[in-house]
Amino acid sequence: MIECDRLTKRFGHFTAVDHVSFSVAKGSIFGFLGPNGSGKSTVIRMLCGLLEPSDGRAFIAGKDVAKQTEELKSNIGYMSQKFSLYDELTVHENLMFYGRLYGIHGNALSKRRDELVQLTHIEPYLQRRAALLSGGWRQRLAMACSLMHRPTVLFLDEPTAGIDPVARRELWDLLFEFSSSGMTLFVTTHYMDEAERCSHVGYIYMSKLVVCGEPDELKQMPLVRPPGTRRIEITCDHVTVGLQSLRHLSGVRTATVFGQSMHLLVDEGMSEETIRTELAKAGIHNADIRPIAPSLEDVFVALTTNRNGEKP
Amino acid sequence: MRRPFRGFTAILYKEFLVVLRDPLTLFFMLFPPIVEMIAFGYALDTDVKHITTLVLDQDRTVESRQLIDQFVNTQTFKVVGEVQGVRELAEAIRRGKAYVGIQIPPTFTRDLRAGRTGRVQVLIDGSNSSIASSSLNTALNVGFRNAFLHLATALGVTAPPVEIRPQILYNPEMRSPNFFVPGVIGIVLQIATTFATAMSLVRERERGTLEQLMVSPLSRWGLMLGKLTPYLAIGMMMGAGLFAVMRWLFQVPIAGDVAGLMFATFLYVFCLLSLGLLISTKAQNQIQALQMTMIFILPSVFFSGFIFPRETMPKIFYAIGSVLPATYYIELERAIVLRGASLHDFWFNIVLLAAMGLGLFSFCALRFRQKLA
Repeated sequence: MIECDRLTKRFGHFTAVDHVSFSVAKGSIFGFLGPNGSGKSTVIRMLCGLLEPSDGRAFIAGKDVAKQTEELKSNIGYMSQKFSLYDELTVHENLMFYGRLYGIHGNALSKRRDELVQLTHIEPYLQRRAALLSGGWRQRLAMACSLMHRPTVLFLDEPTAGIDPVARRELWDLLFEFSSSGMTLFVTTHYMDEAERCSHVGYIYMSKLVVCGEPDELKQMPLVRPPGTRRIEITCDHVTVGLQSLRHLSGVRTATVFGQSMHLLVDEGMSEETIRTELAKAGIHNADIRPIAPSLEDVFVALTTNRNGEKP
Repeated sequence: MRRPFRGFTAILYKEFLVVLRDPLTLFFMLFPPIVEMIAFGYALDTDVKHITTLVLDQDRTVESRQLIDQFVNTQTFKVVGEVQGVRELAEAIRRGKAYVGIQIPPTFTRDLRAGRTGRVQVLIDGSNSSIASSSLNTALNVGFRNAFLHLATALGVTAPPVEIRPQILYNPEMRSPNFFVPGVIGIVLQIATTFATAMSLVRERERGTLEQLMVSPLSRWGLMLGKLTPYLAIGMMMGAGLFAVMRWLFQVPIAGDVAGLMFATFLYVFCLLSLGLLISTKAQNQIQALQMTMIFILPSVFFSGFIFPRETMPKIFYAIGSVLPATYYIELERAIVLRGASLHDFWFNIVLLAAMGLGLFSFCALRFRQKLA
């Protein structure tokens, strides 16, 4: 459905997107990840025809995004980072406006509006001005607006930034519903738990696509799971202190803090006792150690570390 | 593009809602121009009458008093006091107590009766040029008239050999509001309308909604026309309101065809709104839009012939005036309002305004790229 071939965007001397190639199958949820400023939004904007690629090409449904932009416009939906809505207009009016913008009129317009109102449960707020909606409802409205014209591909640029966890979960439920009806979704996000739910993920780092594939596939990569190693999670007090002491232990390949715990990639032969002894030296006695499977975050840490050529 | 105005009705629907949604915004759009106009209209009164005048009458005769009366009767001078010495007179003018000082020397009547020239000194403060020139002309006139009467009596002539009979057309009382107020309307309309559209696209850019519009199949012509139309309606309402204030508050009669006047206003407002749109395609934020709008407003105030006649301007300023819509509109407007001219008489201005409007509008539609960079 989406096909990128060495897509590149340069702003002056700065290369924001550097020869990025990937493809997204119809009906899949493609999670596009990467730190801020890594080029995620730039890729989306090129795919939506908002930016001209400096090099390379991209196709949506077989149409060139740079050359057949006008033909593509009625096929794609775009929900930008800021949930750009007209604050002066009510929920109802915003929906009607976006419908008309895509040439939907009369009965078809009100029917489509009703469908989306039902889907997003925004009914109670229909007459409320968009300015007065909370983050979660704004985002639902923005999504409903971007769906008025039944796009086959929907781009969502950080749809869950700044909304509460419940709204986040509900949004993802909606996304699954769309994808099961055949819509292709392209989502950028910062959240690893969201990435885990995507059918495919791509990770962009410093303008380059580092990896792309199914989450489970990525976790099996040799780089993430080198032979003769295992992953453990250690939960303890003073995680950072613990990290400092363990980091230099021979047999510890990588060590990263994850909230209240740390993830370690250690040699297979390394015993729990060695770790406990080392932690005790640093004054930590209550460590809880358990083996874990690599998460996507581990994957991305491993990949970016590899790229930077340094031990974290 | 098969449908060049695709999305026009959607934008129109949205813009009208946005404008009407907030009565306060609408009020602040319509109200300031009326206030500006009233303020401008009263401030720009250059009718020079009742200039403060001090008298130093050292002669104190019937003749000297008659002469002073003649000065007063012109309505140009208003005697505000008498002084006792030449130095006091000069001092009072320097301190701004009066603009004009009339000094009649003690020998005035004596010289007159002896057949010599009766000399009268008139001191005029030249710092305000229009007051000075008006004072000068009137004072010289009083002198000539007086001299003629004396000569006529001496020669036994009853009728003057030459008489100028001026007839002032179109503004017989020479009221300055009649000249200025139509011009003020041109300027006030420019300020209000250019700002309205200059801000509108920029606001969408700042909010991010423009990006949303760009990914839709909306055409740029549809976008521009949809943005412009509501403000055109408001601009016309504003224009009608301003003309009403002119007619009933400033008592300036409209000699010509009101329909023609409104048609000219329509073209002018279209022109200005297109200019505003052009600014908003260029400006990245509202501050920039504000500054760019000012760049166009200031020359319109100074070089359009609104206050200063263009004919006497240096060539460069005359040239600047020649490219401003305000120049042609104000000229046309004055002709219709004051002289009852028809659009036919000023077809050149009409064609030019229409061409400027369409040119600016097309330019900004073509200039507007549906891309971010």
